[in-house]
Amino acid sequence: MAAPVATAVARSSVLTYSSALRVQGMDAVSFRVSASFPRLRASFPSIRVQRIPRRFQVSCSAKQETIEKVCEIVKGQLALPEDSTVTGETKFVDLGADSLDTVEIVMGLEEAFQISVDESSAQEIQTVGDAAALIDKLIADKDA
Amino acid sequence: MYMDLLSPSERKTALSMNGEKLQKGAVLSRALVRTTLSRYTDCKVDPRSFEFKKNKFGKPEILWQSDDSRMEWPLHFNISHTSSLIACGITMDTPIGIDIEEKTRKPAKNILSLARRYFTPSEVDYLAKIPDPDAQHKEFIKLWTLKEAYVKALGRGFSGAPFNKFSIVLVAKNGIRISVAPKVLKDSDSSCDCLSENWQFALAELNSSHYMAICIEDDLRSSDSGNGRLPLGLKVWKTVPFLEDTLVSGSEAVTLIS
Repeated sequence: MAAPVATAVARSSVLTYSSALRVQGMDAVSFRVSASFPRLRASFPSIRVQRIPRRFQVSCSAKQETIEKVCEIVKGQLALPEDSTVTGETKFVDLGADSLDTVEIVMGLEEAFQISVDESSAQEIQTVGDAAALIDKLIADKDA
Repeated sequence: MYMDLLSPSERKTALSMNGEKLQKGAVLSRALVRTTLSRYTDCKVDPRSFEFKKNKFGKPEILWQSDDSRMEWPLHFNISHTSSLIACGITMDTPIGIDIEEKTRKPAKNILSLARRYFTPSEVDYLAKIPDPDAQHKEFIKLWTLKEAYVKALGRGFSGAPFNKFSIVLVAKNGIRISVAPKVLKDSDSSCDCLSENWQFALAELNSSHYMAICIEDDLRSSDSGNGRLPLGLKVWKTVPFLEDTLVSGSEAVTLIS
């Protein structure tokens, strides 16, 4: 009967792992979001336009100091070199943050800003600027 | 040259990563997926030819374009990265999730704080009872990779399977079990009603440096019980695309934990 053979084939799972160290002698490749699908969706609600800092293309109400603080926390968590470029437009996926990094960043932001971020809000965040805008909003809501 | 294997959009994505190391890692990752998948079509499909799509929750899948259904294989895959290793898991006919993590990865946050924030109460209890900080840290990483593997296998996104809605239990002889909190199954919250328990897990140590967790859907027809074989019919190769390919399962490089 063919079925048992087919089942045996179907059951075998194989795994290949590749040592990134070998390729082109590089030392380290940083983390990626290990959930290989974006939990960070595109639908960031665009908020009222204020004076747009020249680094931003889209309307974004995040305060510059919030963005800078977020950049600092992110750089620390991901152990990025001091001179690496992280701005409000930087996407988290491009920084090689994996799921554990992401949750630690969220916790770091909660501690630094004394706020609480729920899972569904966290998922809307794609860029550093998105995170900063969410933080500003949560702080404003708290103080209101 | 690995870059030649990639599609234009993959190249663009790889080059938008922050810094050369991340970019190279992205290229290597795509090269690994493409070359590996090609081998499981008996090399009938060229690595460059694969096209990919995302399911409605964003999980990458193969897109078979051909009108010839003989040129389709029921292949599933999933990828995981660390700074020094990229893993690609392939199955036939069954969804797969895989996660790897460096054993020595030290979360910046306190283990129990992380667990309380993201894990279930029973998992927090399990971790809290471990007296040695190193051992506790290792168990945390193991649980993390297992939970990640499940979420990725399910393919419904982090919100579709929040970590605190299911527990993973490591049982000495019976292996790894998952239990979904009972109220979730009756929950009218549609984002959680897809959690299922019919999944199998494997946890292994790679090269004594990484933990690897794999999750595949449980095929109730098969009654493999191990008998000294790797569970799930698992085989592991150490690969550098085009350069090296060594079967390492059954050697010291792969130590099964459960």
